[in-house]
Amino acid sequence: MPLAVVGISHRTAPLEVRERFVIDAQASAAALRRLAAIGFTEAVLLSTCNRTELYMRAPSAQPDAGLIGVRFLSDHAGIPETDADRYLYTLHDDGAVEHLFRVVSSLDSMIIGEAQIQGQVKAAYEHAVETNNGDFIVGPVLSRLFETALRVGGRVRSETKLGAGAASVPSASIELARKIFGNLHGRSALVLGAGEMSELTIECLRGDGVHDIMVANRTAARAEEVARRLNARAIAVEDMPRLLGTVDIVASATSAPHAVLTSAMVERALGSGRRTPLLILDIALPRDVEREVGELPNVFLYDIDDLSQIVEGNLERRRSEIALAEQIIQEGIHEFQAWHRARNVVPLIRQMRGRAEELREAETARTLRSLRHLSPSDRVAIENLTRQLLNKVLHSPTARLREAAADGREEEITQAARYLFGLDNGSGTEDDNGEG
Amino acid sequence: MVTILFAIALVLYLGASGTLAVSFADGRGSAPRAPAALIGFGMAIHAAALIAYTARYAELPLVGLAPSLSTLAFLITAFLFVTSLTETRPVGIVLVPLISILLAVALIIGIAPSGEPIAFGGIWFSFHVLLAFIGYAALSVAFAAGLLYLLQFRELKDKRLGRIFQFLPSLPALDSLGRRALVVGFPALTIALGLGWAWTVRFRGTLAPTNPQVIWGVITWLTFAALFAVRLTGARNVQRRAALANVVGFLIVLVSYLALRLFAAGGQVFL
Repeated sequence: MPLAVVGISHRTAPLEVRERFVIDAQASAAALRRLAAIGFTEAVLLSTCNRTELYMRAPSAQPDAGLIGVRFLSDHAGIPETDADRYLYTLHDDGAVEHLFRVVSSLDSMIIGEAQIQGQVKAAYEHAVETNNGDFIVGPVLSRLFETALRVGGRVRSETKLGAGAASVPSASIELARKIFGNLHGRSALVLGAGEMSELTIECLRGDGVHDIMVANRTAARAEEVARRLNARAIAVEDMPRLLGTVDIVASATSAPHAVLTSAMVERALGSGRRTPLLILDIALPRDVEREVGELPNVFLYDIDDLSQIVEGNLERRRSEIALAEQIIQEGIHEFQAWHRARNVVPLIRQMRGRAEELREAETARTLRSLRHLSPSDRVAIENLTRQLLNKVLHSPTARLREAAADGREEEITQAARYLFGLDNGSGTEDDNGEG
Repeated sequence: MVTILFAIALVLYLGASGTLAVSFADGRGSAPRAPAALIGFGMAIHAAALIAYTARYAELPLVGLAPSLSTLAFLITAFLFVTSLTETRPVGIVLVPLISILLAVALIIGIAPSGEPIAFGGIWFSFHVLLAFIGYAALSVAFAAGLLYLLQFRELKDKRLGRIFQFLPSLPALDSLGRRALVVGFPALTIALGLGWAWTVRFRGTLAPTNPQVIWGVITWLTFAALFAVRLTGARNVQRRAALANVVGFLIVLVSYLALRLFAAGGQVFL
């Protein structure tokens, strides 16, 4: 199985190195064509923010597909091969298969159980299929490999709890908000502070449908700049106590050394007329919100420790599912290997059927020569009869050969078939056949 | 045959209870759709059992404790089946055991006509009882929604955020379910009581205010009215109060039923 993967990921290289290897969708098509020109039979390029991987299948004659892959990626990144080698990994055959299955199942992801990788692998595969010009890029082996991988990824997601619960502080905040408010569409939020954490929070809230997001910061210019960039609304810090009572979610991430939101301030802002809950996310260190705020009726207060505990609990639950995911991956590997082994007897089957067909044609022709009185339709009927007879006779040996090869008895059964059918040691290889 | 059909429905409900309990213990997140299928099958068999009862005894299963309980269980199932298609399907974890208990009690008593005389009959009687049962079924749904709201609220407030948090729907979804149950149940019960009052006055010439049935009906109606009143208050945590009221209201109706049946009903026909 001349299959290989060459890649770089968050496990082997820091971000500043990884980003040099990124291949966007446009460049990917050109890269795949270059690979075909080099001589690869099949190739798929997977490029995400955490990994760039080149899955390829070379003809048997190709000396080392891995080396060529390393050279290809190094050239793309503009890094000398000897330097790139420190960050790149190469896996062959069964190792490459297992790696892809682990990747698609998110066991190799930065956050175990993250959902995006399944879609990213699917997109990479579909992109390679679209780039196909009929002769190269994605053929039967990579096609079967990626389809099996996507099925394995789907099973891991549906049959395990690997993706259950939020796995980052912003997503944990959103999970909480959804339980408190249901759908977040049409909700409003007030973000205190305009640093990196505030920006992340605004992006998460916006992504989940929060329509009106206000930003307040001690430096008004910074609040305005963040608001402009993230489609939010900058407000003056002095207006914050008044606006507190009008929003559903408050996220505080200032660098103030003292409490920014006091119990009295929140109680005053909420007054007696408010009927909807208020969610306060204190994601600052030191904390921005007085602890007593959480004791107010209808106010839900979570600090960075609470959110981290949610994340850690979820991640722990995810880790406990790894064994089950590994089991599904192993089943997928066995399925792919069985299919691939069965492919190896295809040349033998072809040879066997070719020999039988030659005999059939010769014998039918000889018989028909002595039956000149037959009409053309009778002759066709006899041709069809012999063809059907041959197919029926060969059906069982063909199926048994494939089954035996899939079970790993390929060598033994091949020898037996050659002996029984009087075939020579045919030179056909799996690369020569195009059968799926 | 009738009893067998009721028993099959009970088995399916118990299966749905078990599936819901497993998915809760599993901690996978919100309730799966599998119990909805079991509930749907159970409801279909239950409906067939009620039809078979009507055909066999030539009367609707609305008179006598066992037939009444089986009809009430069916109406709660119908409400639950509708919710099982939405985000609020985890209320099944409260309602399916309740349905199972009602049906099991009915089966133990024996689902057959009681033979007790009834004060009035015909289509109006059937409407009266059916609408009253819709009211009680809606109150059961409001109770389940309220109970789960309080549990979810406590999880969120205490930052426990474990299995209960994962399994239960959002607070607004539970609040909305409780509110919709009241909106359906209160008018149904009001019309039921109006029909009952009109016919009692017509046949007996008086409302019979000491009749346990009448007392229970009035208690239930007042409870419903109180539940609505709670929702109309402008309190800051009105949703939580409404959830609490739903739970307390259901318990008041249940306790008053048991008290009236044990101490005041005598030998009269009384659900």
